[in-house]
Amino acid sequence: MTVLPIGGGTGGARGAARRQRPDPAVRRASRTAVRRALPFATPFLILFLAIYVIPICYSVYQSLFTVNRSGLGLTASEPKFTGLTNYARALNDPAFLGSLRRVLFIGAVQVPVMLLTALALALLIDAKVAPGTKIYRIIYFLPYALPGVIAGLMWSFLYAPTLSPVVRGLEAIGVDATFTSDAALPYSIMNILTWAWTGYNMIIIYSSLQSIPHDVVEAAALDGASKWKTAWSVKVPMVRPAIILTAVFSIIGTAQLYNEPVTMKAVAPNLSSDYTPIMSALKTLTSNYPYAATKAVLLAVLIGLCSAVFFRLTRQREPV
Amino acid sequence: MRFTRKAAAIAAGATALALCLAACGSGGKGTKGGATTKNGTPVSIVWWGWAPGYEEAAAAFNAAHTDVQLKFETISAGTQGGYDKMLTAVKAGNAPCLGQVGAETFTSFVAQGALEDVSEHLSGAADKFPEAAWKTVSLDKAIFGVPVDSGTMGLFYRADLFQQHGLAVPTTWDEFKAAGKKLHEADPTKYIANLPTDAYNYSGYAWQAGAAWFSAADDAWSVTIDSAENTKVADFWQSMVDEGIVSTFPSWDAALNAAWSDGTVLSEVGAVWTAGILESEAKASSGKWAVAPMPRWPGSDAVGNVGGSPNAVLKGCKNPKEAAAAALWLSTESASLEPMIAKGGLYPASTAGQALPIMKQGREFFGGQAIFEVFAQESAHVNPAWQWGPVMTVTSSALSDGLGKVGLKSGTIADALKGAQTKTVEEIEAQGYALK
Amino acid sequence: MTARGARPGAGSGGVSGSDLSTSRPGGRGANSSGRGPGRAMGSDGSPLGRVGPASRALVMFVMTLFAIYCLAPVWWLMVGATKPAGTLFTGNGFWFTDISLIENLQTLFAAQNGVFLAWLRNSLAYAVGGALVSTLISVMMGYALAKYPFPGRRAVFGVVLAAVFIPAPIFAIPLYLMFSGTGIINTFWSVFIPCTVSPFGVYLARIYAAESVPDEVIEAGRIDGARELRIFFQVAIKMMAPAMLTIFLFQFVAIWTNYLLPSLMLSNARLQPVTVGLIAWQQLRGNPIGYSTVVTGALVSVAPIVILFLSLQNFWSKGLAAGAIK
Repeated sequence: MTVLPIGGGTGGARGAARRQRPDPAVRRASRTAVRRALPFATPFLILFLAIYVIPICYSVYQSLFTVNRSGLGLTASEPKFTGLTNYARALNDPAFLGSLRRVLFIGAVQVPVMLLTALALALLIDAKVAPGTKIYRIIYFLPYALPGVIAGLMWSFLYAPTLSPVVRGLEAIGVDATFTSDAALPYSIMNILTWAWTGYNMIIIYSSLQSIPHDVVEAAALDGASKWKTAWSVKVPMVRPAIILTAVFSIIGTAQLYNEPVTMKAVAPNLSSDYTPIMSALKTLTSNYPYAATKAVLLAVLIGLCSAVFFRLTRQREPV
Repeated sequence: MRFTRKAAAIAAGATALALCLAACGSGGKGTKGGATTKNGTPVSIVWWGWAPGYEEAAAAFNAAHTDVQLKFETISAGTQGGYDKMLTAVKAGNAPCLGQVGAETFTSFVAQGALEDVSEHLSGAADKFPEAAWKTVSLDKAIFGVPVDSGTMGLFYRADLFQQHGLAVPTTWDEFKAAGKKLHEADPTKYIANLPTDAYNYSGYAWQAGAAWFSAADDAWSVTIDSAENTKVADFWQSMVDEGIVSTFPSWDAALNAAWSDGTVLSEVGAVWTAGILESEAKASSGKWAVAPMPRWPGSDAVGNVGGSPNAVLKGCKNPKEAAAAALWLSTESASLEPMIAKGGLYPASTAGQALPIMKQGREFFGGQAIFEVFAQESAHVNPAWQWGPVMTVTSSALSDGLGKVGLKSGTIADALKGAQTKTVEEIEAQGYALK
Repeated sequence: MTARGARPGAGSGGVSGSDLSTSRPGGRGANSSGRGPGRAMGSDGSPLGRVGPASRALVMFVMTLFAIYCLAPVWWLMVGATKPAGTLFTGNGFWFTDISLIENLQTLFAAQNGVFLAWLRNSLAYAVGGALVSTLISVMMGYALAKYPFPGRRAVFGVVLAAVFIPAPIFAIPLYLMFSGTGIINTFWSVFIPCTVSPFGVYLARIYAAESVPDEVIEAGRIDGARELRIFFQVAIKMMAPAMLTIFLFQFVAIWTNYLLPSLMLSNARLQPVTVGLIAWQQLRGNPIGYSTVVTGALVSVAPIVILFLSLQNFWSKGLAAGAIK
């Protein structure tokens, strides 16, 4: 797999070299390897097939059918093969496209903000300028332990117009805060995501910073670089792989946004029931399964494309 | 009906005896398993629902029966996931035998093949219900369940605050709006009512006005959610929103409950079961509420209806006969209906239920008013011409989405209706129904 | 968060990922000569004194501000859980009024015949069981990929990795229908089985195995006449223990915080994990379960995982890197 910039690849080169000259000894060796690997690989492979591969194939298969009823439709429906009809419908469905746009916007704004914050906090903690860094680390990491729906529930109570202590507190000092208006909703959701995931990403970047060798930093210091400059021009480039990884997982995470908006709906009735692509797909899960499957497949393809493009972009800018 | 307590005692004794017999029997000739199980252990019927009072009704049923036992499980309200849950279970083949399926969703469930035709087990049951109520569970000759309650609408209002602000109880919508205006001018923090953001709560206003959403004729559906009649109703509510007369709290939210409790919102034009909601959610204002007939449109005496939930026999039920009989018992026996009426404010659908003495009793929350007498009179005026559609999950979520935007002025009720119309038509076409 | 952490893999992504990136010999940008046991002490062991007091105050201010942001909602949850029923939205939401946590807990555990305790038990069963099984099979798979050069393993690994990049709900949707068709839906297994597969765990395990289990050890075992499984369970598994704990922890968190999959699969309230149950309570028509009870339940549901975090704090900060010290 070439997509992961930090991939392991210990045996890759050797394997490739071997493949080029198939002599009997090698074939025997590989037969032995297969025999040895099977007991280890079988449990995972069976489950992986059942839980990942077959469902995806099944989704694609199902998405080629449409629910077909006749008349008043008071009898059971017959699925009918209709090729890409569902895909055409989804790509012309303003609600589905709208949900994609919304999530794209949320991701485009929230992911950079969150990662920059995480990077800054990681650098501050790593610089050990302030005491008590261990406690800060625990506190920042804490939100990650809360299930997304619980976080959503909690923030909903804090966003709720009229009931929230935050809203009432702001009102008391003359600020009219609405967290649930159409315009504010994306930002309210972004806030929950940032709250929940900044610490998590901070830890990733921080543990990457921890492994930067002393001599590199010391060399920079000897060259007369200030602490800020060292952080920016020496440390940050070195933790780039970690940042890229957090970015990719954040993109994937945003694309599957579901829990937070679903729990917020109780206090924000204007949050439409197809606010995100996953919500949109699940909406017709019981009544029109093939269409739900179509949306799921489309989303998977889009995420794959986005990840690939992102990796390509970040790789081209690689200085080394 | 009259012998409940005695019957319950006998039943309890009989249950104990039966259990003992079953246990003792299994020791002796346990090898003939099949027959022993059938005779010894009662048939267990699982029942899903969310209406208040159902749990007590199930207990009453169990006390009165030895051969069949109900197992009631509370689930999320239908539109909040309960229906999906039932459909999931039906697909999996492990659905409960009985489920609370609102009248509005009944057609959609039938269309998805999720219900069992139990007409052969319910012959003669139709006589026990008014024709309109029975219509909700039957389609052609098929019968899929038994109606429990109806959702005749009325005006729930804060008698104390109406008096305090010198408001007369409105009998027409124009008066209602005028009262709202007067109230709001006197005290801008108060609202006469709340605009529902729940599609079904809203549907009652359309129902009253005869503004049909669906009709089925010549084997084809027609969808008229954004018709001229519907726009009229929408415009009326929209004008109240624009003038700030009504509040726009989300339906079913704590904020609305608080607004009812503290007198921010003075009335609710809703179905009879709203009584149960108010009693549990606005406890602080107990004794201060009253009920009046629903305000009327000019030149019409029609009343709206919201919900009313039959118990449906779900597809895959292994004991449809017992399930149907249990559903009938639940809807017609006083032991079952009384807790539903007392706790949930449900207005029974069966003729026997409507004649119960409890229906004439005053309710503490409403200052001792016998509110069901109002609904008894009003139910005769419920507009009989209303048809629900085949893709109600899509319709209702689209409409609720739209209504949710009205309060923030990012959409109008008319927009909401248009959105629901478009999405419904789209879904109906995509699924291949005939459309006119 | 569950949407993000829903798939076991996504949750585990980062921390270990970065750990890997730094632990790999000759990692990008890192000068391998400088990598010694001491590096876990921090990138520059500068003492506190090297910056001016103004900068330090600024740094502390920023860090404290963010800490307050992280803690405030949790604080609200804690305060809310102590408020008497019906007063959740009255008074100051961020300060205690009448402390009635005990009463709230009693109401919580008594509601609906004590179903809350069942939910906690279920969450624990799904999370502990699922994480244990998935850790074991991930490590075995990763080991096979790293140590046995069978043909096609790169392809297999590629497919597994591709699965890391597809969000969990996308699998949940077809699984829902497949499980419906086979009658697995609405059973314990409908949630448990999907929890046992973690492609990201395999990714981690493969790299850990390549690094921490030397080929010589395996060869030595073979010379002693030991069978492959025995070498693995008696020797290799100990060397991979830190990696296994990492995989286990992240999988545990991912399962515990999951919502979508169990909410789709389970209609039986007695089988639900605590996340699904609590949200269902919140959505019950007419709120027969008060908001105070829901908030108390939310606090209780969060407690086990926070304890797990705090008690393993040392592991999180240092132990993660341990897999790298060969």
